[in-house]
Amino acid sequence: MSISMALFSPPISSSLRNPYLSPKNSLSLLSVTRASSDNGASTTDSAAVSATTVEIPKPASVTVEEVPSKSPAESSSDETDLPTTETGIKFEDAKWVNGTWDLKQFEKDGKTDWDSIIVAEAKRRKWLEDNPETTTNAEPVLFDTSIIPWWAWMKRYHLPEAELLNGRAAMIGFFMAYFVDSLTGVGLVDQMGNFFCKTLLFVAVAGVLFIRKNEDLDKLKGLIEETTLYDKQWQAAWKEPESSSSTVSSKK
Amino acid sequence: MSTFALKSFTGLRQSPTDQITFVSHVPSSLSRSQRRTSLRVTASRASPKLANRSLRVAVIGGGPAGGAAAETLAQGGIETILIERKMDNCKPCGGAIPLCMVGEFNLPLDIIDRRVTKMKMISPSNIAVDIGRTLKEHEYIGMVRREVLDQYLRERAEKSGATVINGLFLKMDLPEEWDSPYVLHYTEYDGKTGATGQKKTMEVDAVIGADGANSRVAKSIGAGDYDYAIAFQERIRIPDDKMTYYEDLAEMYVGDDVSPDFYGWVFPKCDHVAVGTGTVTHKGDIKKFQLATRNRAKDKILGGKIIRVEAHPIPEHPRPRRLSKRVALVGDAAGYVTKCSGEGIYFAAKSGRMCAEAIVEGSQNGKKMIDESDLRKYLEKWDKTYLPTYRVLDVLQKVFYRSNPAREAFVEMCGDEYVQKMTFDSYLYKRVAPGSPLEDLKLAVNTIGSVFRANALRREIEKLNV
Repeated sequence: MSISMALFSPPISSSLRNPYLSPKNSLSLLSVTRASSDNGASTTDSAAVSATTVEIPKPASVTVEEVPSKSPAESSSDETDLPTTETGIKFEDAKWVNGTWDLKQFEKDGKTDWDSIIVAEAKRRKWLEDNPETTTNAEPVLFDTSIIPWWAWMKRYHLPEAELLNGRAAMIGFFMAYFVDSLTGVGLVDQMGNFFCKTLLFVAVAGVLFIRKNEDLDKLKGLIEETTLYDKQWQAAWKEPESSSSTVSSKK
Repeated sequence: MSTFALKSFTGLRQSPTDQITFVSHVPSSLSRSQRRTSLRVTASRASPKLANRSLRVAVIGGGPAGGAAAETLAQGGIETILIERKMDNCKPCGGAIPLCMVGEFNLPLDIIDRRVTKMKMISPSNIAVDIGRTLKEHEYIGMVRREVLDQYLRERAEKSGATVINGLFLKMDLPEEWDSPYVLHYTEYDGKTGATGQKKTMEVDAVIGADGANSRVAKSIGAGDYDYAIAFQERIRIPDDKMTYYEDLAEMYVGDDVSPDFYGWVFPKCDHVAVGTGTVTHKGDIKKFQLATRNRAKDKILGGKIIRVEAHPIPEHPRPRRLSKRVALVGDAAGYVTKCSGEGIYFAAKSGRMCAEAIVEGSQNGKKMIDESDLRKYLEKWDKTYLPTYRVLDVLQKVFYRSNPAREAFVEMCGDEYVQKMTFDSYLYKRVAPGSPLEDLKLAVNTIGSVFRANALRREIEKLNV
């Protein structure tokens, strides 16, 4: 199944996303500078907005009205105008109407095709991640993912994953049972009565649930340290002077 | 056990010598409460009375923490000196204070420039959620100008009897004997000697360090370092018709483009808006994040003029040592800024007050010398009252600011009325209100649902990338 294939592919973790940050932001920077050079370019937005932009002077350095006093860190003393025109890049889709998906356009055989709505929303979010857009009061985004019923989500995401994990657990279970039987001669029914075997079973199930990729092991260790770190930082004031001389700092 | 041995000693030996054995070297194997009760019982009784004078305490730093501490000290009959380096300092700050601060500190209502009663939270995919429907008529988040608030609290401290000095604290000589004073070295600016000021020294019995995130007092006592976030803010004056939208509304933007571990904001100030963002882990990219924040709010701040750019560090957690002998840290100097929301003004003022109260109590209104155990009472009270709040906000930040799906789920959940009510109750009144268990259960189910849906959509996005 295509979804299970996707699950095998390496995850694009949030740390990897950061290399995307520079191209993303340089894109928005480009669009900003393009806007400032398009003086008074017509936009698809409401007329009221473009009317007020005409009065404001163009983005060049203006005479300094206020000289702010020196602030502790950075401070600049010119007045800078913000770009006064719209950029052309916007998310547009025939089925995206008034800030939400028009459910009527997603019908298939008389019933709403929830899967295609999910895919459409994913496409929209991916677009926005790559091209962050301004929010406007004229076209607020009102879509709420909870309108898609829970069973549609289950069918698309939970069930395939559950099938995969159960399959893994079954295979591990069968071979472990065979292995233990061949080593100790204890049959399956007798294994279930033994405390050690029950512990092994619990560990196997937990392992299948929590460790799905190689990186998960390190991630779990990091998580445990992360949950206790804040408490440690607060309790540092109560420790002995000798031990608190080594500062408790987090390793990010 | 050493505690029993010490107890028998107090009957036989003279008071001053007892003190020295107590304060240090209590075995850490003792539970905290045990340790503290043994310290509490004997220390204050053993402190010597001060002959012919009141206790002298210096408060370094005249922000909310310093002002509140100085006022409480002065009202308690203690000789208080407040040292502030810049009397008209416009500290770069969000400027939001909770409702309870107005009541607890008797702030006059004209200090508050704006009353924010509506908030908008905007997710990475620009789904906007309105928060504030559950607020009652008299409830609001107050927006203040720091220069106005700080000046007011300092004036009140002065009226109560504190001496306010315009000076820059340089360093502090720690006492050699247990009853020697602290010698403060500072530069006094009094207008007559010009901009460079005059070097002076002062002897005091105790010091409250309220000098902010880059505290010199903290350095003097070796308090240790903390992780900090950089908050970067631009003040933008926008056209009047756009300003009416922000009349009583503040916005919070979340997303990887705006900040990897914090949020971007648009807060209304007296006659302009402050647009800013912050980060802990990617401080070098802060300008990019600021541009992204401005981009997200672009339509609403169109045609605005940037009138000021400012940045400041925000501590992420308390310093390892918040006090040492008779020096205590309060406010930002101690690191009392919450995670998730980055709120610091109220906690600064409250910690200043609490520390001062502990000093007043421990010295019996300035008649006796205090010692570290009196200051530890302040730490104890503070941790007991506010640690749950800090913990909850830390968990919220860890869970909901990790990734874009988490933020989408966060924004979705903030649309729920129960969440809004609980959030505002705990923010405005600083108490963890007990909600109804049934609603809590529904909330838990909804949270899991939101997080599941957001992560499912992310998996879908990853499939599209492949």
